[in-house]
Amino acid sequence: MKTNFGLVSWQGLRKLLCFTAALMFISYFLPAQGANYQTPKQMGEWLHSQQKSHGKVMTLEVLSSTPGKEPVYLVKIGQSGTEKMDHRPAILVVANPSGHMPIASEAAILLIERLLADPGQYKDIGWYLVPSLSPDAHKRFFSSPKVNSRLNGRKVNDDRDDQEGEDPPDDLNGDGLITWMRVADPQGEWLPIDGEPRLMRRADHLKGERGLYKLSEEGFDNDDDGQTNEDGPGGVDVGINFPHLFPAEKPEAGEWPGSETESFNLIRFVAAHREIAMTLVLGETNFCFQPPQGGRRGSVDFSKITVPERFASRFGFETDRTYSMQEIMVEAQKMAPPGMELTEAMVASFLGLGAVVNPLPEDLKFYDEVSKQYKEYFKKVKLPLERFDPVRDRDGSLELWSYYHMGLPSFSLDFWWVPKPEKKKDSVSETITMKQLADMSNEDFLALGEEKIDTFLKNSGAPKQFGAAMVMKMVKDGQMNTKRMAEMMKQMGGDKGDAGKEEGKADPREEALLKYSDEKLDKKGFVAWKKVKHPVHGDVDVGGFVPYINQNPPAEQIKTILDPQIPWIFELASNRARLSIHSSKVKELGAGLYRLSVWVENTGLLPYPTAMGKRNERTAPVVVSLEGEGIECLSGKKRELISSVGGHSVAKAEWLIRVKNPVSIRIRMTSNYAGSDLKTVRIGGDV
Amino acid sequence: MTRQIGLILLCFFLATAMLPARADKVDLPLRFDRYFDDAEMVEALKALHKAYPELTELLEVGRSEENRPIMCLTLNNPKTGHYLDKPATYVDGNIHGNEIQAGEVCLYLADYLLGQYGHNRQLTELMDRAVFYIVPVVNVDGRHHFFYGLSSAGGGNRSLRIPTDDDNDGLVDEDMPDDLDGDGTISTMRIRDPFGGWKSDSEDDRLMVRVKPGELGDWRILGEEGIDNDGDGSVNEDEEGYVDGNRNWGAYWQPPYVQSGSGEYPFSGIGIRALADFIRQRPNICVAWAFHNSGGMVLRGPSAKEQGEYPREDVEAYDFLGKNAEKMLPGYRYLISWKDLYTTYGDFLEWMNNLNGTMGFVGELFNVTVSETYKSNQEMQKKGDDEEESFFTNRIERDRERLKFNDHLAHNELYKPWKKVKHPTYGEIEIGGWVKMSSRIPAPFMIRDMVHRNAAAVIFSADHLPQVSLEKVKVVPLSNGLSRVRVRLHNSKGIPTMTAMAKLKRIYPQDMLKASGLKVVAAGPVSDEYTDRVDYKAYRPELQFLRLNAFGSLIYDFLVEGSGTLALEYSSVHAKNQSLKIVVGAVN
Repeated sequence: MKTNFGLVSWQGLRKLLCFTAALMFISYFLPAQGANYQTPKQMGEWLHSQQKSHGKVMTLEVLSSTPGKEPVYLVKIGQSGTEKMDHRPAILVVANPSGHMPIASEAAILLIERLLADPGQYKDIGWYLVPSLSPDAHKRFFSSPKVNSRLNGRKVNDDRDDQEGEDPPDDLNGDGLITWMRVADPQGEWLPIDGEPRLMRRADHLKGERGLYKLSEEGFDNDDDGQTNEDGPGGVDVGINFPHLFPAEKPEAGEWPGSETESFNLIRFVAAHREIAMTLVLGETNFCFQPPQGGRRGSVDFSKITVPERFASRFGFETDRTYSMQEIMVEAQKMAPPGMELTEAMVASFLGLGAVVNPLPEDLKFYDEVSKQYKEYFKKVKLPLERFDPVRDRDGSLELWSYYHMGLPSFSLDFWWVPKPEKKKDSVSETITMKQLADMSNEDFLALGEEKIDTFLKNSGAPKQFGAAMVMKMVKDGQMNTKRMAEMMKQMGGDKGDAGKEEGKADPREEALLKYSDEKLDKKGFVAWKKVKHPVHGDVDVGGFVPYINQNPPAEQIKTILDPQIPWIFELASNRARLSIHSSKVKELGAGLYRLSVWVENTGLLPYPTAMGKRNERTAPVVVSLEGEGIECLSGKKRELISSVGGHSVAKAEWLIRVKNPVSIRIRMTSNYAGSDLKTVRIGGDV
Repeated sequence: MTRQIGLILLCFFLATAMLPARADKVDLPLRFDRYFDDAEMVEALKALHKAYPELTELLEVGRSEENRPIMCLTLNNPKTGHYLDKPATYVDGNIHGNEIQAGEVCLYLADYLLGQYGHNRQLTELMDRAVFYIVPVVNVDGRHHFFYGLSSAGGGNRSLRIPTDDDNDGLVDEDMPDDLDGDGTISTMRIRDPFGGWKSDSEDDRLMVRVKPGELGDWRILGEEGIDNDGDGSVNEDEEGYVDGNRNWGAYWQPPYVQSGSGEYPFSGIGIRALADFIRQRPNICVAWAFHNSGGMVLRGPSAKEQGEYPREDVEAYDFLGKNAEKMLPGYRYLISWKDLYTTYGDFLEWMNNLNGTMGFVGELFNVTVSETYKSNQEMQKKGDDEEESFFTNRIERDRERLKFNDHLAHNELYKPWKKVKHPTYGEIEIGGWVKMSSRIPAPFMIRDMVHRNAAAVIFSADHLPQVSLEKVKVVPLSNGLSRVRVRLHNSKGIPTMTAMAKLKRIYPQDMLKASGLKVVAAGPVSDEYTDRVDYKAYRPELQFLRLNAFGSLIYDFLVEGSGTLALEYSSVHAKNQSLKIVVGAVN
């Protein structure tokens, strides 16, 4: 029955219902970015929905299951077609490996969305993406009370007593956050900072200062063993559970590299998929901004090997000089049993030479180039370049393992950082950082003047003999340049970074974080110190920075922060090594003999393989094979190997061929992850 | 005609003589004058389990790459306790597929102990108080292919069956050895060549010596029997694997370019991974023995120099066991792995030490220098200390002697005379040399002595699994209702309840001494029992953490309030738990 009133209300209601249903329908498919950080479960649901609507180009797998029974998802995006995905070069993206960077997982989700919307990006290459490698730890961002923890859900008896997880942090002030606690104690080391009493610093005994407080995490000694919060929930930090420089002495690193299924299954995946051309870790380091750190002790230079004493006399080597690996190989091969072929790896391992622990100089070249590109990109999209240095790579991390053990170009990105306050223009106390030194020209350096240079050298801990006058002369004479100087000083450990602390002042990063909280978060980033009753200590103050805010932006800003940065990932990927047959030449020598030359070109910036990939023999060489009947190779093999092709370079393979009759030869070039090519040439007859 | 047939028959018999005798079923009593192939090993374990069901458990640890079962036989008397509640010895062998006699040692250990149970008092007592986990063959694929595939006297089939691109040419396992003469063993190839650098030995022309400078010779040694299958100029450079199961463990692991054969990542071997998980579930293992060949050694860690020497108390415990083992194994030397041999990374010993907190030994079975001799007593005494056995030293004297051993004691089973063969590339060559069942492997008649002596070394260490007694020393009433209860914990054996290193690295919780029943006001270890000097524990005095050295003892004082019964519980991951009830105060 239709009345005016009824019609309007029914129609209106229906419209409203339809609209709401549509909204719910759409929101189910859209990532809820810009509103909230998504839980791993929500991300999983979204991934499933994408897989349903993009099934032809996207597959969704569960890479592993965590101790907390969470799935670790692996997304594969690529054109289906005549070629299997395995044969196409692929980019591997892994986000949030330690779980404490939900912004990185959001970036991965946004990247997936962008990829699916742009088929051009996955036409020639595939993409493997893991949006959250440690969902157990990722979940903790959403837990209450909120504590910044990188641990997965494995039950670990951290303090080796008779229980597990019996002494977690405690939310003493009931604000749902685990922050800091300061207890007045005659042996306390900490003082509030003059002018900013919310922040604390250590007392300087040499100046006669006495501390007031003991500073620790919010909590009390649940198991009455004298320690507080020493055995909380979990677990292992999956992000440092990888084999390169695995920090076995750290309990949170896990029992052995790959002890956690999250990391082990990823390791197996990378090892099995030789088509991976590049890895990109989204987290807290940034290898696009600056290369992996060097300056570690222990790396062996294969051109200057010292033979250990216990082998030296036996093999006729001297201990007071160094040898190149080639020299050692020649001697060692003579002494090996007949028929046994030695490799450099065998000799290196027999002599106990050790692993590479610093980026190889050849590879630093492409890291520097990419860094330039990254900074130019930021200029282009008008994003600020001034920032605190990103977190430095950690031993046992995924991004280091990818480079040193898998030999792959390994990149990483962080997406947000606490804004760096404007530097005070005080010419006297301004210190030059290593980075500035490396970037400035020799002329600019000399123009600083002797006094400034002297201060700089002193502050950087340069040896006494390197006075300003001497250094300036070396630069003038061309014996030294700013870049080399910066490298040397970095090696000597003189780099205090750009966050060097001045005496009596707060840590610049904490200061910046507090400023950011005051100005941009309406002071909500810092819980003001307040008295609370502690079960043992009586009156204590609880306060401090809210967990996660130093590395993760407010949820409302996620989209605006990530949107302009995602396209950089595509630019980065375009640097991958791309091999093709550039040209070939056939020269007739007479009597059925021909010289065949084939040039293989790499049109990408990245070399194939990296110097590390060549050193650890993990990347197969470029294979150029000749296919055809009736050809005899007098010089060169039918399956010829090219050990490496540098970035933007060309390499040659050559054969001396004998044919009886004119023949067509197919030249097939293949590589692990830089593509393949096929060309046909005619030998003999009319060329 | 008949002569030709005779020759063919002779070749056939010679050929089959090289092959191990095959039995379809394995019966008890087990024979230790022969080698068991991988299937027979499993049958032998099954037979032992069937014959001693109450004392054994037979489990499949996991599967190998080629899906063969890796078996563990557990020896335990359930009447005296669950197998996890007693200290245990772990023994395995043959992680390198060609080191086959390790399997026999493990099998013999099981067979001997089970057979002696109920008859020999010492061994019966041992079996009642301790557990044995025995995994005779870790690399089941390797063992199988050593018997039935392509193997040489030097090695081959040492590796796990994980296809690996050893020569970095983009192909995997593309150049295996080739048994050109089909005799079941991979020998050496040589070709007539006056410029080849070798000449026949004047004393025994089966051997070759290097020519002197300027001298022309007879032979060029071409290498291991094989063909350049992939046409890359090298022969047999990319065989099966190469992933060394004993470099694939997760402690101090290094990638292959640093540690040859370590695999792409720790525990890339699925059988090795399964074994690691199996061991992790058995935290009561106090000492592990891994048997290999060869060289005649009892090795302890550390495996790499940079790990630094073990703590002093641990070294003392190792020396006690190691030096006794030396005495049971004439010709064997007790050595330190990194120092006296070479640095290795990612090996089983280090994993057991650092991840599981156990002591560990590697038994390198069979010292060919000591065992394959042809000397009278007089000559032996003149000989003196032997030069370190290494493939870098000149061995012509040794080889001549070994050949005499081969001729007169092994009756030509160990060395294959040179035979002409046609090679597709080289033309007419000769093949000959030591067969695979030689050099690193004792001739069958020597098996029995080897297995018993090595089993005895294992039994010695098992005899010294920690045994802890918890005893009351005295109860002294003090003022105000307080009493001092003093107890002594004593480990009467040569293996500590926890290694000093395990405590240092906090690998797992220490032993605990828990007091309940009365309020414990203060407690701690007594540093001087005559002056009652005690290191009182600051928190939770009723729970004391400790470890006992080899032959070590500790005294604890508990100051308790009131009267009643104080119940003390000693629990340990390694030693058997103990409990004690002490009555304190006036009994009404």
